[in-house]
Amino acid sequence: MRKAFSDSLMKEAENNPQVTFMTGDLGFQVFDEFSEKFGARYINVGVAEAQLINVAAGMAAEGWRPVAYSIASFATARPFEQIRYCVSYPNLPVTLVGAGRGFTYSTSGVSHHALDDIGLMSLLPNMTVVIPGDPTEIEELFPQVMRCSGPAYFTVGRFGEPRYQAEEPSVLGKARLLKSGQKIAIMSTGEITHEVLKSVNLLHSENIIPMVYQMHTIKPLDTVTLDNLADQVRAMLVVEEHFPNGGLWAAVTQWNAIRDKPIRLQRVGPPDSFILGNLNREDVRKKIGCDAHSIAITCRLLWNQ
Amino acid sequence: MAHDGGEGHLNGALSCMDLLVALFYRWMKNYPDNPKHENRDRFIFSKGHACTAYYAILADRGFIPMNWLAQYAKNNSPLPSHPCLHALPVLDWSSGSLGHGLGVATGMSYGLKLSGNPSRVVTLLSDGECNEGSTWEGAMFAAAQQLENLLVVVDYNRIQSVGRTDVLNGFTSFEEKFKAFGWGAKTIDGHHLPEINDALNEFPFESGKPSALIAKTTAGRGVSFMEDQVLWHYRVPSGDDVKQALEELGEAPLYFREGNPS
Repeated sequence: MRKAFSDSLMKEAENNPQVTFMTGDLGFQVFDEFSEKFGARYINVGVAEAQLINVAAGMAAEGWRPVAYSIASFATARPFEQIRYCVSYPNLPVTLVGAGRGFTYSTSGVSHHALDDIGLMSLLPNMTVVIPGDPTEIEELFPQVMRCSGPAYFTVGRFGEPRYQAEEPSVLGKARLLKSGQKIAIMSTGEITHEVLKSVNLLHSENIIPMVYQMHTIKPLDTVTLDNLADQVRAMLVVEEHFPNGGLWAAVTQWNAIRDKPIRLQRVGPPDSFILGNLNREDVRKKIGCDAHSIAITCRLLWNQ
Repeated sequence: MAHDGGEGHLNGALSCMDLLVALFYRWMKNYPDNPKHENRDRFIFSKGHACTAYYAILADRGFIPMNWLAQYAKNNSPLPSHPCLHALPVLDWSSGSLGHGLGVATGMSYGLKLSGNPSRVVTLLSDGECNEGSTWEGAMFAAAQQLENLLVVVDYNRIQSVGRTDVLNGFTSFEEKFKAFGWGAKTIDGHHLPEINDALNEFPFESGKPSALIAKTTAGRGVSFMEDQVLWHYRVPSGDDVKQALEELGEAPLYFREGNPS
């Protein structure tokens, strides 16, 4: 995904001479091509996230189109007030890129776990929040995010993630149908979608065939698709790699709460607690019950009810 | 304004008045008839709470009508108690949360340099907001990027909300700190206009470096019962206080001259 991101960034910078890139001292060698080609349009501000955001804000005020990059946990929580006061409040077109959200850096510990980034960014007015799940979504969505007139939060994973098949292209603000099905709709966001697709493969032999949607855009939430789906399915299963507060689950339950006929919802995702130990991502997902196997169990229950 | 609006930080407003006069009437390029002129020097009034001083200057320079001053801090006013560029679009930046001015100014300064625009960026900081770590993140960046078009003015009035600046920063020198961060820096008397003007004429203080002007000022300058009193950081003056202060200053409120709409 990171290669897809650096390639997408290069394309944007080639097409738009106002695009600038600033990093909080991260992305070793990932942006060498950018800095060689665009010189002073590349800035390393150092390990200084507040300054990362403020310099992006000041440049946006002068008509530039900044992309500010750091690790997801540091890009969002640390400079939250800078993002709120200097980017979101003046509604400046700054794209904040968080690398390695969720449990991408699970073995690095709680400092590097980003399970609150979507919540923090969704709280802010004017902010668009986009969580791609594979390299194709990075390539398709990044140019759309860069057309936003205000700020956006966009995430990228690591290197070498596989691409998944989908039945629709990625359109900003629209839930993306990956697999058609019936009775149940599984809604997920970001890279946990790979686990969802694995779980659907596990269930296929039992003739359990749910719909799978990737909700890459959390804000604004695609309530049109949700409303349409609610009339077609008996339940929705929300799968997320985020705390239960502030993420996709929170957004979907808010939508559901004011429906005339609320639909049955179920969640698979991390609990509201810090995940201690230094397990790798696969084992963390197993331990807290949000791997393909656990998703399949919950989906089977909903299907058979 | 502070009396009528029922809000105000008069200590910090009176301490920076002479600095604003030197900047807005003489040194900065600004265009009251075309406030967003591309060639203007950008200005961030980072110590937003002290904006009665800033608004008075904006009115007197013709950026806003004089009678707007009567609306300071009133309901739905274009002049809220902390400046907002949505309410008052002639501003370059909103302020109210401390510690952002220098960082944002470095972004503007870098952006101007990158577009080949020779305009300068000025930000007026309170000494209190130099407590903020983000101020020093910005200071480091400005030196690293050799932002010669950037001027920071520190209103060193030595008084904060509930304490003394020198106590809170361990009696260390602002000038030495900025110099250690790679800036050109000078300390002056921030109420002596010729001294302020002379310092500004030497901008940039050192070639290839951002400049910091440390202006030693007196909180509540010009009003005997306010001067250097922590009590007056955010105290609202009574009618009698206003009367006495105006007598001491030999002044009338600016907007009385134009007719107070209220």
